[in-house]
Amino acid sequence: MRLQLVGCSHRHSPVAARERLAFDAAQASAALDGLRARFPASEAVLLSTCNRVEVYTAAEEPDQGPTHAQVAEFLAAFHGLKLDQIFDNLFERSGEDAIRHLFMVAASLDSMVLGETQILAQVKQAYDLALARNSTGPLTNQIFQAAIRVAKRVASETSINETRVSIPSVAVADFARQIFERFDDKKILVIGAGEMGEETLRYLFDEGARDISIINRNLQRAAELAGRWQGQALPWEQLGRSLAEADVVISTTGATSPVVTLDQFRRIEAARYQRDLFVLDLAIPRDFDPAIGDCLGVYLYTIDDLAEACQRNRQTRDKQLPLARAIVEQETTWFMAELNHHATGPIIKRLKQGWQQPKEDELRRLFSRLPNLTDDDRRQIVQSFDRLINKLLHPPLESLRDESRHGTPHFLLDALKRLFQLKD
Amino acid sequence: MISGITILCFAASYAVALALEVSRLLFRSGVRGALMLGFGAAGFLAHTAFLGYRAAAVTQAPLSSPFDWYLVAAWVLAGLYLGLTLQYPRTPVGLFILPLVLGLIGVARFLADQQPFARGSASQFWGMIHGAFLLLGVLAVLAGSVAGLMLLVQSYRLKHKMAGGERLRLPSLESLERAGARLTMAAPWMLALGFLSGVILNQVNHHRQLDDVVPWSDPVVWSFTLLLAWATAAALFCALYKPARQGRKVAYLTLTSFLFLLLWLGIRLSIPSEHGVSPVVAAPLPSASQAGGPA
Repeated sequence: MRLQLVGCSHRHSPVAARERLAFDAAQASAALDGLRARFPASEAVLLSTCNRVEVYTAAEEPDQGPTHAQVAEFLAAFHGLKLDQIFDNLFERSGEDAIRHLFMVAASLDSMVLGETQILAQVKQAYDLALARNSTGPLTNQIFQAAIRVAKRVASETSINETRVSIPSVAVADFARQIFERFDDKKILVIGAGEMGEETLRYLFDEGARDISIINRNLQRAAELAGRWQGQALPWEQLGRSLAEADVVISTTGATSPVVTLDQFRRIEAARYQRDLFVLDLAIPRDFDPAIGDCLGVYLYTIDDLAEACQRNRQTRDKQLPLARAIVEQETTWFMAELNHHATGPIIKRLKQGWQQPKEDELRRLFSRLPNLTDDDRRQIVQSFDRLINKLLHPPLESLRDESRHGTPHFLLDALKRLFQLKD
Repeated sequence: MISGITILCFAASYAVALALEVSRLLFRSGVRGALMLGFGAAGFLAHTAFLGYRAAAVTQAPLSSPFDWYLVAAWVLAGLYLGLTLQYPRTPVGLFILPLVLGLIGVARFLADQQPFARGSASQFWGMIHGAFLLLGVLAVLAGSVAGLMLLVQSYRLKHKMAGGERLRLPSLESLERAGARLTMAAPWMLALGFLSGVILNQVNHHRQLDDVVPWSDPVVWSFTLLLAWATAAALFCALYKPARQGRKVAYLTLTSFLFLLLWLGIRLSIPSEHGVSPVVAAPLPSASQAGGPA
């Protein structure tokens, strides 16, 4: 069996190199067809994302399938590059290391943002495309299905892909979504035009928020930001009215004193009818009087609250990482043992078949000498012979299984072939 | 054998499912979800088989006795638990619903020896309507109180910046408020229809000069009237006063309804009443234990 991967990722190569080697969907299909045409005995799957390009190849026999260098040459040729232009940016893995790498990738343990969930979908897409292009086979089918299963196991047994560590993502995913079920019917008010506010807006926009108002002392800056998010810019004088209507407020002004005091909030509170209000005060010094957080229906978070949550998530993630890696290691060991044992299948089959013929000859001879046997007697005798063969075969098969845990047991397989004269 | 199913079978299954729900707060596990659903589903199946067997063995079942009535209420809540757990596997709804399910089963067990409601009279139709609407009303109050309690917990966690942890994932405030408000509005209709059908049932029995007429002064009747009056007031409050449909007020309304329900239940269990008592048992009725009920 020959199993390997050649590729580049954010760990080994800069973005420019990754861009040169990236494949869009049409190119990936063409590349898979090209690999099949050039290496017909090999299976292939191509994974191309913004952070990695990886070509997985597998062949049943060790002398079949492309070498690392041949895959590298193929990649260079496909993109019209010279091999030395990309060679230093590529990395390679073989056998168990390649399996472990794929499991790590699918489980998002090799991602730039650890635990992001998009990679699993990308691995599935890559596998589906290879299936559609007919470039997969028994080995890649087993490997990719196992990778998807391992990723799901890591996701269910650890919280690695639930922990967000940036302030805007924590603000939206861990807090805003705990208050509101949906955002497409919510009024979002951004006070100020700070960078963090815009970053948070991006997450809210992804969640479906569309009714966005930007209020700033400088109306032109508000209009610029509003233009980027299909929102509306409002003059500063409308702050009170906008607050009364808002569901989510993100405040990021550079003001040196609170822009919304408790008294100001009290004046608009009645108009809100105690509707839930999520206030994200990302300004330093703070824009909202902290006492507003005690008002009914108001959930006020400052940058310190969010930083604390981020830190807590980081610690959780750090605790979960060894657990996730241990799962990948365990699954890799199991998978390799299974794969190696699978490689012994043809020999076991031939061994069993080799014992069938003598058994049937002996039974025929015995039954011809004992013609008065009933059908039940004959069935009992056949079952005894089968049990005997199974018992005789059990020790060598058990030894094969044990040896498979440490790799393909070539020595034992050769010995069995010679001892029992098993022909290919 | 279905006849071998006892209350203990499904109560134990629900209790194990509840223990597994509690363990969510302590540690993560890859197999817990499947185990929890397995125990919940096993309990629900046994519960269904038990009720089915009682329906076959006792002609008036499933709402023909206090024992059956409470078991049916627990069965509906258990079904709700299973449905919600399947739809939202990461939300520990069982923490809030399963104690109610076990509580109702406990009340049913407590009332297992009570005689069935009157049977064989022409008023059986009104009896069924009465029982069914009361059941729906009580379930609306119970489900509302579950939403209200979750809302209070979630609101407390958000106010104290505790949300976001992976151990206790609750639905959003918005969805809990909506569910609580809708159930607060729905409960009095069900309770009122149950009450009205009870009044009609009483009148029918009165005109037929039957003995099973319940006086207005009966403790079950007046305590239920209190529950209905509160549920109606809460619904009116919700409908007419906008802030009552939003925020923690919804939770306070639903939990107060739950307290009135507990009061009614307490009176039902502790004070002798003529309500639902059959003066003459028309036909021999298998006891709970004979029907595979509590031994």
